[in-house]
Amino acid sequence: MTTPSTDPNSSSFFDPGDDLTTRVQSVRDGKTTTSLRLESMLTAAESTNPSLHAFHEVLTDFARATAASVDARLAAGEDPGPLAGSVIAVKDNICTTEGRTTCGSRMLENYRSPFDATVITRLLDAGATLIGKTNMDEFAMGSSTETCAWGPVRNPHGINRVPGGSSGGSAVAVAAGIADAALGSDTGGSIRQPAAFCGCVGFKPTYGRISRFGLVAFGSSLDQIGPLTRSVRDAAAIYEVLAGVDSNDATTSDLPVEPSMADGPFDPASLRVGIPREHYTTRNHPGVTERLERIIDSLRAVGATIIDIDLPLTDYGISTYYVIAPAEASSNLSRYDGIRYGYRADPRPGEGLEELYARTRSEGFGPEVQRRIMLGTYVLSAGYYGAYYKRALQVRRLIKQEFDAAFTKCDVLLGPTSPHPAFQIGAKLEPISMYLNDVYTVNANIAGIPAISIPGGMVEENGEALPIGLQLQAPAFHETSLLRIASTIESLVRSA
Amino acid sequence: MTTGLTKNDIASTRLIVGLEIHVELSTRSKMFTRAANPACPEFENAEPNTLVDPLVAALPGSLPVMNRRAVEMSAMVGMALGCSIAEHAKWDRKNYAYPDLPKGYQISQYDLPLCFDGAIDIPSASPGADGGMRRIGITRAHLEEDTGKLSHELPGGIRYSGSLVDLNRAGTPLLEIVTEPDFDCAEDVVTFARELRSLCRFLGVTEGVMQKGHMRFEPNINLVIDTTDGREFRTPVVEIKNLNSFRAVDGAIRHETERQLDEFLSTGRVMGMGMKQTRGWDDERLVTVLQREKEDAHDYRYFPDPDLVPVEMDEAWKGRIRESIPELPIARRSRYREEFGLPEKDAFALIDDQGLCRFFERTVDAQLAATNPPSLREAGHESAKLLLNQMAKRANESGIVAHEIGITAEQVGELLALRRSGEIPTQAIDRLLKLASESPLSVVALAEANDLLVVRDEGAIEGWLAEAVVAQPKAAEDVRNGKDAALGRLVGAVMKASGGQADAKDVRDRLLAMLRD
Repeated sequence: MTTPSTDPNSSSFFDPGDDLTTRVQSVRDGKTTTSLRLESMLTAAESTNPSLHAFHEVLTDFARATAASVDARLAAGEDPGPLAGSVIAVKDNICTTEGRTTCGSRMLENYRSPFDATVITRLLDAGATLIGKTNMDEFAMGSSTETCAWGPVRNPHGINRVPGGSSGGSAVAVAAGIADAALGSDTGGSIRQPAAFCGCVGFKPTYGRISRFGLVAFGSSLDQIGPLTRSVRDAAAIYEVLAGVDSNDATTSDLPVEPSMADGPFDPASLRVGIPREHYTTRNHPGVTERLERIIDSLRAVGATIIDIDLPLTDYGISTYYVIAPAEASSNLSRYDGIRYGYRADPRPGEGLEELYARTRSEGFGPEVQRRIMLGTYVLSAGYYGAYYKRALQVRRLIKQEFDAAFTKCDVLLGPTSPHPAFQIGAKLEPISMYLNDVYTVNANIAGIPAISIPGGMVEENGEALPIGLQLQAPAFHETSLLRIASTIESLVRSA
Repeated sequence: MTTGLTKNDIASTRLIVGLEIHVELSTRSKMFTRAANPACPEFENAEPNTLVDPLVAALPGSLPVMNRRAVEMSAMVGMALGCSIAEHAKWDRKNYAYPDLPKGYQISQYDLPLCFDGAIDIPSASPGADGGMRRIGITRAHLEEDTGKLSHELPGGIRYSGSLVDLNRAGTPLLEIVTEPDFDCAEDVVTFARELRSLCRFLGVTEGVMQKGHMRFEPNINLVIDTTDGREFRTPVVEIKNLNSFRAVDGAIRHETERQLDEFLSTGRVMGMGMKQTRGWDDERLVTVLQREKEDAHDYRYFPDPDLVPVEMDEAWKGRIRESIPELPIARRSRYREEFGLPEKDAFALIDDQGLCRFFERTVDAQLAATNPPSLREAGHESAKLLLNQMAKRANESGIVAHEIGITAEQVGELLALRRSGEIPTQAIDRLLKLASESPLSVVALAEANDLLVVRDEGAIEGWLAEAVVAQPKAAEDVRNGKDAALGRLVGAVMKASGGQADAKDVRDRLLAMLRD
């Protein structure tokens, strides 16, 4: 088992010969077993959780039973599926009949789902072993996993730094080697930004590619499930298992899902890489700027065409997002009223229904969730709808058009996933500065296009070596070319 | 504030009513999930909270998926009401908090309803109606989901101090139809309501049982008051919620008409002063009662539901729906009146039940297909009489509808043919109905086997006639003198003598010929 070093001189990269794809193969080859691999991960979970706090709940018994069954089937010559032998962690906003699904919220502290999310069913059907539920920002509202009701998650690359968020626990589980891969959800960058902060790959497919059935809703028109992994080909392998139409989610696309890596990496000589000017500004950490310049140079060196792109609406993304996402959240979260399930305030004598609702929600939700519910309620109310929500939908359409125009000139857009590496816990408690973490990632959600963050190397800050992420964005439903290009750049970055 | 006006100062008042109607569609599953729908007869007696799944209970992670059948049914009703059908309709969330609304929002259609801009003509009691008919505009018809139910009674009617939530009804497809304010009298509203119920039942989109809340009516009512000194006042619009009988619709509108005038005279409140009032109907005291003043008019924060995709209804889909629409009750009734000479009441009765109506038309077809067919008018008229009288009476005894007594349309045709040709006596019809409802044999065979055919022996009939005249000279004399009432006694005597095998009508005709010519 690899544990990442905190030595600033070491590479942030996982050993390319040691990812889910090779580990699954070694189980198939009989060199190890799922159960053996699981046990070492359970041990790692136990030893790291007090410090890193990646997991809210480790599903020890369920994972052991699954692993044993996978091994038995393999031994019997059966094929339990493409992910047989792998151990995968799941963000705690994805419903599982095993264990609880708390969304990092006191509101759902003891909630057990009577059904599995479609992605859970598909993972299990593909032979994966699920190790546990990972911590997250409450209801996925945050970029640091500090709003988790069960306490913050820490970054293995710098123990006083945040892992990013909201899928912070999932990123840490992968980075710390407690799982081969993890599922996250991405509403404004919640897979990609923690992947960047923790040095892993984080992939948000096109909106509608992966069923949201069983994903506890935050911003339903933006939410998308995706994998956090050690390599691009791992992300492709999991994506292929998860993607595809689902009769339980009306917004899933019935476009066929093609095997992404069948044709191998993309030939760099025919690659047109768009460089959005607005992603390369002085707000970026100098180390981030330097790494990107080197990577662009090495792309040029291998024959790729580098094209300057203008995305003037980039900076409108955050404002647009902070109207649409809270608006949807304010409605999505109104079901948590303490009547049928979840947290309920102790009733007081003579208290009316409205008061009970109010206290239940004031006590059950943390401050960031309450802030967004109020924000969303406000932007949808009569008299403000036109100025905020309707305007935001108009800008959303313009942002989509801006991407459409950009992709007539290039195959993929390349930039930093986040302007800076992981920050110190407690450093960005002021909401707006926290929200600005997602400045480069939100527009992919707003436009619904696929985007991936891959490790971009290390930068130094206060004597600590911290990973940064490169974001690649592609046109809607072009996952195959995006993953192939990402794979090409992934190898290039290692030597850049 | 008072107006200083009294009833004597009022020159005239005019009533203005617009109607909202909620129709629960009888699809098998709910609007946005596979859970069974209590508005479908198969599930109507389900125990509380048994028609519930993760979506109905609004569990985290559940998602709605549109029921296409409910959309088709709604488009069907819209088409029947002369509406345009949207090519592009969408789903919106109407947000409000209440324990009978688990998600905290109702999925509805806000600004892009499925059906819009329709109209139907109804027979009108209003003096202002054109040729006895009035056109009622249909503003829109949109689809949404019903809420659950709150109650304070345990099963068996036991009082409960808290509130009980039953989510069975939550998510039932609900078609909301909104009319223009085109009514000016309570009678027309009731006529329209009945017509709409008949239409929806005929299209098979709802069971339409009023007591079960399958159709709920909400009139919006106000008055235009003209004073003798030439001023015009409009009273504030009042909405009456959840009326579920025609009697309540009628009563509520009549009561409001008086109440609003009285209130205007005492307070002077006119439209635009204060907020819209919502009232309910007290079925015992026969008055409307204040429910709430919409002081804080609900802000429902409508926005498009991101979990659902818009409804794109292309011409092919619309075409298939249009083809599936049968001839509608209003048109069919007028055809029945013209083709068969049926009175309105009989036409309405036949068409109220789609099964009965289909059966009736098959009996007409059966008659027309026979050798020596009657005229269309005769066939329809006689069939209707038989179905609505003798057959309905027989059916009523078992609590079923006339066409369900077990007799086939072909047997009805045969029975009417025998009756027409005089081969069976009138009084044998009931007997034959009973026999035919229990046997697949032809009615001719049944009549023969049971000695129910009319005796054709001229000699015998003439003999019975002569005997009767001799036996009752007084009656015969009366008939000779033009007293028809006396015929009955003679006919009775002949029938008795024949053992029931003579045809009463034939006997009557013969007696008349014998005694009058």
